[in-house]
Amino acid sequence: MVAGAWICLLAPLGGALAITLLGPWISRRAAGYVSTLTTFLAFAGALIAFFGLWSRDAHDREQLSTAYTWLAAGDFQVGMEILVDPLSTVMMLVVSGVGGLIVWYSMGYMAGDDEERRFFAYMSLFVFSMLLLVQAGNFLLLLVGWGLVGLASYLLIGFWHKRPEAVAAAKKAFVMNAIGDATFALAIVLLIWSTGTLEFSAVFEGVDGLSSTAVNLVALGLLGGAVAKSAQIPLHTWLPDAMEGPTPVSALIHAATMVTAGVYLLVRAHPIFEAAPDIQSLAAILGAVTLLVAGLVALVQWDIKRVIAYSTMSQIGYMFLGAGIGAYGFAIFHLMTHAFFKALLFLTAGVVIHHLSDEQDIRRMGGLKSALPRTHVAFLIGTVALVGLPPFAGFWSKDAIVASALARGDALGWTLFVAGLLGVLLTGAYSFRLYFAVFHGKRVTVTQQTGDSHHAQHGEGPMSMLVPVGILAVLSAIGGLLYIPGVWHPFTHWIEETGEPLVEATTGQDYLTSAISVALGIAGILLARRAFQLDRQLVTMPSAWRVFEHKLYFDELYDALFYRPGAALANALRRRVEEPVIEGSLDEIGSGTIFASGGLARVQSGLLRTYALAIAFSVCVLIVVFVAVR
Amino acid sequence: MSGPGVGWYLIVAAALFGIGSLGVMLRRSPLIVLLSLEIMLNGANLALIAFARQVGDLDGQIFALAVMAVAAAEVAIGLGLIVAMARRDMALDVDQASALRG
Repeated sequence: MVAGAWICLLAPLGGALAITLLGPWISRRAAGYVSTLTTFLAFAGALIAFFGLWSRDAHDREQLSTAYTWLAAGDFQVGMEILVDPLSTVMMLVVSGVGGLIVWYSMGYMAGDDEERRFFAYMSLFVFSMLLLVQAGNFLLLLVGWGLVGLASYLLIGFWHKRPEAVAAAKKAFVMNAIGDATFALAIVLLIWSTGTLEFSAVFEGVDGLSSTAVNLVALGLLGGAVAKSAQIPLHTWLPDAMEGPTPVSALIHAATMVTAGVYLLVRAHPIFEAAPDIQSLAAILGAVTLLVAGLVALVQWDIKRVIAYSTMSQIGYMFLGAGIGAYGFAIFHLMTHAFFKALLFLTAGVVIHHLSDEQDIRRMGGLKSALPRTHVAFLIGTVALVGLPPFAGFWSKDAIVASALARGDALGWTLFVAGLLGVLLTGAYSFRLYFAVFHGKRVTVTQQTGDSHHAQHGEGPMSMLVPVGILAVLSAIGGLLYIPGVWHPFTHWIEETGEPLVEATTGQDYLTSAISVALGIAGILLARRAFQLDRQLVTMPSAWRVFEHKLYFDELYDALFYRPGAALANALRRRVEEPVIEGSLDEIGSGTIFASGGLARVQSGLLRTYALAIAFSVCVLIVVFVAVR
Repeated sequence: MSGPGVGWYLIVAAALFGIGSLGVMLRRSPLIVLLSLEIMLNGANLALIAFARQVGDLDGQIFALAVMAVAAAEVAIGLGLIVAMARRDMALDVDQASALRG
């Protein structure tokens, strides 16, 4: 069981190393195979770990495996250790399983790209980082995975490094994530200082003895990290820009790795958040705000991938909401179903983009239903699962979270409940706006680009692209059946071993929520359909349109708040300090040295006899001095 | 001990050293400079031997032998340089060989 977990962790690392070290000696296609097979090997390891855990007694499902002591400073020790428990095995399965499908898909998608080997090495590194993150047995190792995920995402978003937008987007993602990394690291330092350990169970036991200030600060630091990594307001601006990377990368970031890390952290560190209930509520509120804002902004976006990106932000908002009110099982459940349908949506979007020779603007799409029949079905399944219509995956998980908010009962619970339901309406509207714009309406003619062998075939793509899409479509369709309110709930039961839920909705509340949310979802769909038939936009008020199109001016705000003052300060320092003081003093030192050495050089006349005279004279002086001093 | 006292020897040695050093400082021909150098060395040798005789051990004489060996080597190099200068039709004048002026 533990061996399986280690295989799961190390296989993608081995893949990344193999591709990097073998480099030009293996073909591009072989690099793809290495990456895909090692990721699936990781999935096999995750399965071994999962079933090993399954066969155990329900209260004995937590095992820490330490390879060696990594750091030791007096009493403080950190091991190279992995934690195998119900939560981490679920995450392992999702990361390696969905990640494997995406890597497989990218073999077809990236075929013919200039730097395929580099791409697959990065993909393997990305999967490894995320697996390290979810398997880490202590906070420090978790932070290592956390940072590696940020690095891998930076490398992959900027993969097409000749495009300035891609490089800028990669930089933005890295900087935004660095803010979260910093607060996370501060929280860890605070934990070492206050509890003297970083191991999960020891920390969670020690939390009770801490002052409320310390706990609140630690929770706030962890929340900051989670918010940055999961692209929640206010650190969300990097996620839409991250669409500059290749489509499989977007799928990997949004479905299997990266953005789900924040949710995982909230659930993993739930004892800390429970000790700091204000911060936990803050997480839920941030999630609710994000899901509404992202839903509104998604209504007006024109880029097919950006619409899906905003839907991710919105769905992660639901997960934060769930984790924030203590519905840990449902948050992780939604994380899993979301991984299925979001990967599906991105991969089908990739098929569409491929088909249209890298066209991403939905204004230049339409009527693709007949050209891409299988993709159309897959995309429809993904969209319906996203909106949450029964019996598709999103229905079960999203409604469970919203119902938990209702079960909370107080004012905050009601607010979150309403926000969650409004989010469903928005989801229905924006996702079906996208669906209609891409697959219905006037047929577009594919512009044939001559000489571009990369996109020469304009079918639905090779089998390596279609099979993962098919598998994900099936999972999106039936993946939600692991939880049926009042009937059976193996998934949440499984997660309960790690985190006991704080709220539990009654079956009645569950069905009430489902009824309202399905009605709202269908209302959203009908709105989108009506707008599409009338050839109008969903947002007709020009001022509102402008606000949404500028993503509520977050970029402009950060620009004005941080970038401009920083740049102005740097410019002022350059003009006032750098140029006159530092550069000036260097010039002074140089000219002073030249002046002084000029005087000294005159002594060296080159006349041998002068030297001899100088020596003789010096000897005489010395003799006089010695005699006189005696 | 017979013969003149060590003071006389030292006077002769100092005279030789002074003549040599004046030659080094005043003459411009490298050949003469080299000769003057030899005179200086011999002045030093004479002083060494005189002291060795007075003290009564052989250290000073051995020093003098070493100085003669060094002087021979120095003459070989110095004459070689002078020959090389002459071959290149350079002026045999130490004041004009001043390329190392700072």
